[in-house]
Amino acid sequence: MSAQAAPAATASATLVRRRPPAAVRRKRLLVTIANHSLLIAAALIFLLPFIFIVLTSLMTSQQALSPKLWPSPFAWHNYIDVFSKAPLWRYALNTLLYGGLATLGLLVSSIPVAYALARLRWRGANVAFLITLVAMMLPPQVTIVPVYVLWAKLHLVGSLWPLILPNTLGDAFSIFLLRQFFLTIPEEYLDAARVDGLGEFRILTTVVVRLAKPAIAAVALFSFLFCFNDFFGPLLYTGENSQYWTLSVGLSQFRSLYQVQWNLVMAATMIVMTPVIVLFFLAQRAFVEGVTLTGVKG
Amino acid sequence: MRWVLGALTLLLALALAASGCGGSSKKADTSSSENAGPANITIWTPFVDPELKTFKAVVADFEKAHPSIHVKVVGGTNDDKIVAAIRGGNAPDVAQSFSSDNTGAFCPSGAWIDLGPYMKDDGVDDSIFPEAPRDYSKFEGTRCALPMLADTYGLYYNKALLAKAGYKTPPKTISQLTAMAKKLTQRDANGKLKVVGFNPFPSWYENVPAHFGPSWGATWMDGDKSALNTPEWADHLRWQKSLIDWYGYDDLVRFNAGAGDEFSASNAFETAKVAMHMDGEWRVAFIKREAPNLDYGTAPFPAADGHDDLYGGGYVTGSIIGIPKTSKHKDQAWLLVKYLGTNSQGLAKLSNGIQNVPTTTDSLKSPALKPLPGFQTFLDVFGNANTTTTPITRIGPANQETFQSFVSKYMSGSKTDLEGGLEGVDKQIDAQLKQAEAGQAP
Amino acid sequence: MSAPAAQPPLQLDRTRAKRRAAWRRRGMVAAFMSPWILGFTIFFAYPLVMTAYLSFTHYDLLGSPRWIGLANYRYLFTTDQTVWPAVKNTLWFIAIAVPLQALFALGIALMLSRARRGVGVFRTVFYLPALAPPVAATLGFVYLLNPATGPVNTLLGKVGIEGPLWFDSPQWAKPSLTLLALWGIGNTMIIFLAAVLDVPRHLYESAELDGAGAFARMRYVTLPTISPVILFAVVIGVIEGLQYFTQAYVAASVAGGSATYSAEAANSLGYPEDSTLFYPVLLYQQGFRYFNMGYASAMAMLLLAVAFAVTFVIVHNSRRFVHYQAPGR
Repeated sequence: MSAQAAPAATASATLVRRRPPAAVRRKRLLVTIANHSLLIAAALIFLLPFIFIVLTSLMTSQQALSPKLWPSPFAWHNYIDVFSKAPLWRYALNTLLYGGLATLGLLVSSIPVAYALARLRWRGANVAFLITLVAMMLPPQVTIVPVYVLWAKLHLVGSLWPLILPNTLGDAFSIFLLRQFFLTIPEEYLDAARVDGLGEFRILTTVVVRLAKPAIAAVALFSFLFCFNDFFGPLLYTGENSQYWTLSVGLSQFRSLYQVQWNLVMAATMIVMTPVIVLFFLAQRAFVEGVTLTGVKG
Repeated sequence: MRWVLGALTLLLALALAASGCGGSSKKADTSSSENAGPANITIWTPFVDPELKTFKAVVADFEKAHPSIHVKVVGGTNDDKIVAAIRGGNAPDVAQSFSSDNTGAFCPSGAWIDLGPYMKDDGVDDSIFPEAPRDYSKFEGTRCALPMLADTYGLYYNKALLAKAGYKTPPKTISQLTAMAKKLTQRDANGKLKVVGFNPFPSWYENVPAHFGPSWGATWMDGDKSALNTPEWADHLRWQKSLIDWYGYDDLVRFNAGAGDEFSASNAFETAKVAMHMDGEWRVAFIKREAPNLDYGTAPFPAADGHDDLYGGGYVTGSIIGIPKTSKHKDQAWLLVKYLGTNSQGLAKLSNGIQNVPTTTDSLKSPALKPLPGFQTFLDVFGNANTTTTPITRIGPANQETFQSFVSKYMSGSKTDLEGGLEGVDKQIDAQLKQAEAGQAP
Repeated sequence: MSAPAAQPPLQLDRTRAKRRAAWRRRGMVAAFMSPWILGFTIFFAYPLVMTAYLSFTHYDLLGSPRWIGLANYRYLFTTDQTVWPAVKNTLWFIAIAVPLQALFALGIALMLSRARRGVGVFRTVFYLPALAPPVAATLGFVYLLNPATGPVNTLLGKVGIEGPLWFDSPQWAKPSLTLLALWGIGNTMIIFLAAVLDVPRHLYESAELDGAGAFARMRYVTLPTISPVILFAVVIGVIEGLQYFTQAYVAASVAGGSATYSAEAANSLGYPEDSTLFYPVLLYQQGFRYFNMGYASAMAMLLLAVAFAVTFVIVHNSRRFVHYQAPGR
């Protein structure tokens, strides 16, 4: 962190950039090398689990039960066998249904709420926002029993509806994120639209949504990811009905229900991990945007 | 903020109103069931292929006998699912549970309807069932299930491995079992276990206390209080611990981690990694399918030293079938339940295909019964007077799981006071029983 | 409500019009907020009240709730032997795993902030595990740390170390879960990285001029400046720790080998020996395996109280450590 950049342009004396003495330069070089070596080592350790999972997924079932580290032969057909052992396609479809519908409902319902909290001035706005924060932090186990009873009485347990429907009535975390972003929209844009005679709803749908596309994309991404990774919800509501299992539940039951060994389990694991990783590479910007939305401006 | 109070009161009122809507339990219509009208009914079973195929074939026989009733068979369900479905309100018309443990929850609450009226109307008397299945399918006088196929447990032994060590007959007492187990154990060059003579590890495969209890004459309850702090259980647990210590607890953990899944083709007994093994009668069918060249034998599980009279008995439990109260076709459901539970042909066919024990005294004698070699042991155990089951309680499997939790800790050495621990388990189970009955109108 | 500009001699009575406009406005706000008002009421407010109510009843969904007063709480605090191990496990996680995660994420972020080349690649590598679905990641780790056939113990064996039993050992099960959690700190790391990179240059420069070495610069410049973000990460970590379920459930059931086929085989939640029985796992077991819903509700109320208490304690004590930057970022 040395002052390498040119100094701010103030008048009077111009600072001359001196090269630091050789000793200091050498020390800095050593620090940099040490830093990089540590980073490389850490990165390798982080990659190691992935590597082992892939290697194991290519072993035969006998080999997977043995301490051998390198598959021989390479059992590529494992990835095909996995699909014939378990209805992974159905699980994937269920996961998509859950994630897609929930995200859609969440966006449609949360955007107006976030806008109301951020840009419409009304007396209860701050209290409402605080309540939203509290809802965000509440452990789901606290409300889970009566909610389950509710769905049971509606005879919807055993389907995906208990997972999808709550998202159509807003989601605390998304409201929080969107509100934070909407706060950054300059009032001038909105005032200009108001002067033009647009009602608040039209302002929302035409001006705000267009401006907030990156934030909305980030929220959509986060929401979909949450649904993809959700285990507790699907376990609770679809656990008894394997027709509606999502990938997370199906994967957890894979070993015992289909009596397979670790090689196929690891293949299934890779299959479940891959869409997320691909999605990440395709939508990197939205990811990083979303993560910084939560942290820095919080 | 007066409106807040008002809103909360409204919420509370809504809450109380919503909770009051319990599932309605219609009185069973017991008029002449044989002439019940056409219906589509669903039955849930925990069986999966290939046993599911046999089950479906027997159900098809039922459909042939009752052409107006169509049955949809859903396999791969389990206790949790059935329980959850009943509570969730979308239970099937007939449900089969692999374990009789939940009878104590289903019967008193009416979750499975009382079959008494149906049985009376159709002249079915529960004396057609041997004593143990008769007992584990009813609770406090209410019969809400029929037993359908039982499981008995015994000893499987690898004849080839035994012969190599010089043994020609299986052990009959626990000390014989222990001595043979030690001799049959092999370790590899690093000292790690390669072949285990008898794996005593708690909760591995079928090693739960309930299965061992009958060999020591150990019982669970004294009246309606838990009574596990007895010399019988203490003897059993001490034996188990001493054998575990001989193997080395950590060594066994490693062995188990590398062993195959119980119901996969890499099962440790089927792949000759374990020489002697406590298992249920269904293993015979599995071996025929997955390891047909395995040279094995079956025998009743050895009896504890000093309890020679107990030899020949074992643990029995079994599937139960019943009618969840939410069924809309109870009459037709009863016909299916009656067929599966009492029809000797059906039971014999199920038994032949799945290699479970049929549960009526008639079917036991049926000429249609064709047990595989090795299966006869389990039929004999079923008929033995010393064969017992775990008592049915209101808390379902919770008492067994509480016990297993303590046993795990005792075997690993985390807990060392055996009698004190057992007494603690008794107290816990009694508290659980009391909780389950809390608030009930006397 | 605009203030009148000049005072014209003619005063139009616009109160009724203003009131109507005000109502229309309130209606609009209500319309915008309506999904959340509904959602919050149905899925937060109502359940909270119901949980409180159910905690005083015995309810197993097969009948109606039976009022039993404080019996559940008495059982919870005095008789149930499984609750206090569960509480201890969750507290262990919050006290040990959460700070470790924050430290680890911070360390990597600091290293990354110093790196010159390939930052993008490193960032991706460190973030990737956080993307792995929790079930998949847990399965992967249970296999990796399999004491007999797993690669980790195999590698350790090659250097002559006998690896521990990891998920099969009561002493190592929670550390194994912690390792899994550390593997997935990508999100926190990115947030820390952004915060570290946001520290104004001039602070470092003036510190350097004052003679501060690298370590002192970190201690007196970096850490205080990013302290709000650290607080945020810790609070989120604690909240997640109080809800920790998926990894513990999956690890216990896979390592414990509970077969779904035979209902008689041991239930392995908390395997081994209750060491992975976290409070939410126990709550799930009580509420949705045994269907003691009244008792589970009592447990839920306790969890609520603890969540509030812990969050309050952290935020209250944070004033000593957290420095909020002057406005005008």
